[in-house]
Amino acid sequence: MSLWRALVSSDHKDLGRKYLWTGLAALALGGALAMLIRWQWAYPYVPVPLVGRPLFGGTGAITPAAYASIFTTHGLVMIFWAMTPILIGAFGNFLIPLLIGARQMAFRRLNAAAYWVFLCSLVVVLASFLVPLGTASAGWTSYPPLAAGIAAPGLGQTLVLFALLLNGAATVMGAICFIATVLRERAPGMHWFRLPLTVWGIFLTAVLNLLFVPMLAAATALLLMDRCLGTQFFIAGAAAVHGGGDPILYQHLFWIFAHPEVYILILPAWGIIGDVISFFSRKPAHWYRGTVYALLGITALSGTVYAHHMFVAGIRPLVGKAFMLTTLTISLPSQVLAFNWLFTLWRGSIRLTTPMLFALGTVFVFSVGGLTGLYLGGLSTDLYLHDSMWVVGHFHLIMAAATFLGAFCGLYFWFPKMFGRQLDETLGKIHFACSAVLLTAVFGGQLLAGYAGQPRRLFDPYQYEYLQRLLPLNRWTSLLAFALALSQGVFVWNLWRTLRSKVPARENPWEVGTLEWTLTESPPAPGNFAQVPTVLRGPHTFSATVLGTELGRDYLGQAEPLPAGVQEP
Amino acid sequence: MSGLGLGLPENASAHGHLIDELLWVTDRFDVVVVALLLGVLVLACVRFGRSRTASSDRGGSRWAIAKVVGLSLLLFGVVDGYLLGASLRGVDQVFWNFGAVEQDPRTLRVEVNAQEWTWSIRYAGPDGAFNTADDVLSLDEVRVPVGRPVLFELGASDVIHSFSLPAFRVKQDAVPGQLTRLWIEPARAGTFEIVCQQFCGVSHYKMRGTLVAMPEADFDAWLQEASRQARLAFDPEDPGAHWGWAWRAAR
Repeated sequence: MSLWRALVSSDHKDLGRKYLWTGLAALALGGALAMLIRWQWAYPYVPVPLVGRPLFGGTGAITPAAYASIFTTHGLVMIFWAMTPILIGAFGNFLIPLLIGARQMAFRRLNAAAYWVFLCSLVVVLASFLVPLGTASAGWTSYPPLAAGIAAPGLGQTLVLFALLLNGAATVMGAICFIATVLRERAPGMHWFRLPLTVWGIFLTAVLNLLFVPMLAAATALLLMDRCLGTQFFIAGAAAVHGGGDPILYQHLFWIFAHPEVYILILPAWGIIGDVISFFSRKPAHWYRGTVYALLGITALSGTVYAHHMFVAGIRPLVGKAFMLTTLTISLPSQVLAFNWLFTLWRGSIRLTTPMLFALGTVFVFSVGGLTGLYLGGLSTDLYLHDSMWVVGHFHLIMAAATFLGAFCGLYFWFPKMFGRQLDETLGKIHFACSAVLLTAVFGGQLLAGYAGQPRRLFDPYQYEYLQRLLPLNRWTSLLAFALALSQGVFVWNLWRTLRSKVPARENPWEVGTLEWTLTESPPAPGNFAQVPTVLRGPHTFSATVLGTELGRDYLGQAEPLPAGVQEP
Repeated sequence: MSGLGLGLPENASAHGHLIDELLWVTDRFDVVVVALLLGVLVLACVRFGRSRTASSDRGGSRWAIAKVVGLSLLLFGVVDGYLLGASLRGVDQVFWNFGAVEQDPRTLRVEVNAQEWTWSIRYAGPDGAFNTADDVLSLDEVRVPVGRPVLFELGASDVIHSFSLPAFRVKQDAVPGQLTRLWIEPARAGTFEIVCQQFCGVSHYKMRGTLVAMPEADFDAWLQEASRQARLAFDPEDPGAHWGWAWRAAR
């Protein structure tokens, strides 16, 4: 297929691959911004090697204003333009129809338009770097009054907020297609409890997107009006004056989206690793329905915990206590997920393939991330740790480490289906080892800095005497972060090699039974299934004795008829 | 950790130990759970990595479900339950127990107005009323007596700031258009740093103040003298002298 046809195609597999490349490019940009932040904390006022002068002028050291833009856009780019397109755009588009036995995504034109709106939003963000006064600088949270114009008077902040609106529109458009597809396009026999967990994860993410992205859009639209049209929804005067609007209203609107956003990003990863752990334990997922109920429970609770982000914003004590209770409660279904993963491993026949290693790494960093979040759900401990580097370490373990490892778990696993070539396993394992160890170490370093009292978002933490002792820690953390960035070269090299390779992937390289691997072509031809399969069972049928004796292998396809007279395992 | 120069800043609050203990216990829970998890993951990979055959158990039996639910409830009950109970006691009895502090006759009241990038401090002076001629004003330095409750009422003129006292383990946002509260009781004399902990613009990192905890007699003498000087310098025509507000008492 020519490049042009791939570009204009509305086929879900082409769209998935477009989201993947766009997301990986944005991941590189967001990662580069992270390296600048780490440089600043390790070597404040020291010129940045190579890129310092062209980027910052003068000596090439990062300035306070540049620093504000860097940490602001790092967060925004990573969340909305890197992890969102990779986990939701790429996997959602590529996988949903293939895994449920559909020939195409529902509303395929709307779905294709979503990608182009998404790409426009990215272009607007990139353009914001070039305008006078620079890009957004009020933090990824864009709290007013700061983001309403006082501290961010430039066009860049306006452009980024507008890009956020566009991005939200694209996300909602995609979510509508995903939900309609899962509701309406499942193959005959693909009951809800026969869906691969990956589909459950992405489906519930789409539901959350549809519910909560409009909240972000409302907050952003009102904020844009405050910036551009002279309204005062979120602008208030001094204490004695009491004029105007309510800055806290924005925080309610923002966090009722932004806390579910954590689950929006992690649900696809949870789904993926739920399947992958079963696949490579050669054992059915332990208590599949329990995992599904837990995912549903978390989805239902996700909108009820958000105000723990506002424990020190001046909310009433009763509200604080109610949200502490819901926040701690949401850890219960998360624990059900974790125990189900562990019980799936137990008494399996574990194959430590690259995707499996990434899945196990996800389990670990997610658990550490969840446990370090407990402190922030408790009112008393949050009084000390709120807005500290502890928060940064905690949410990076979940929103960066766990989603990153989960995304690469999915990428290594489905790469043969997406591109017809299989990534090198040895390079993949090296990539895993570097990523898992260094991600944990870097975000662990941030946790330690936060525990010692370092606030987040400080251009120069060492202005404070009690933080001067943390310079060695921060420097070590930065060096590990640079190593983490460099180690991603292993993946880039693997990608380059594999895509140029002429050796086709095997039809079913992982020997699993989900529908996508019954298609002989990789990537499958438009329309996917010449004949839509009739699904007979769930996604994880492994290791039953009857499979070995009757079929000579340890797995069974979801739509694979058994020889006459053989009992369903 | 403290041997590495890490760990918590030295506690200066009469109540900071409540938070420190809660952190300490939760740290232990977390370390144990993470170690167990890592152990199980490694053990599973070693023990079942070489096994040729896997169980085909779907984990749907009552016993299998009971194991998952039971373990989850156990972990939830112990770790989350402890944190919930202790946190509730902390805020109810101490950190958010503003009623008791308001009623305590020893309580020192201080108004703090935050603006980019400075803390304006105001004491009521001998007349006990704020926004009057004998108010003591200060920039970026708060003096407080050791052993007495100190109640801060916080406002902000421009953007959101956060009045954070790491050595006292507490912080509270200062929000334009409303007043928020925070209280401490210094346990020992010393000079401690006030941190702005909510990003408030380019020079946020320089919005540093100091809190000086003094023996009560020294503090009283200082306040009296400062108030005498304040009355001499008071200019009713100066718009900058009137940023204070009438104390809003308990809500």
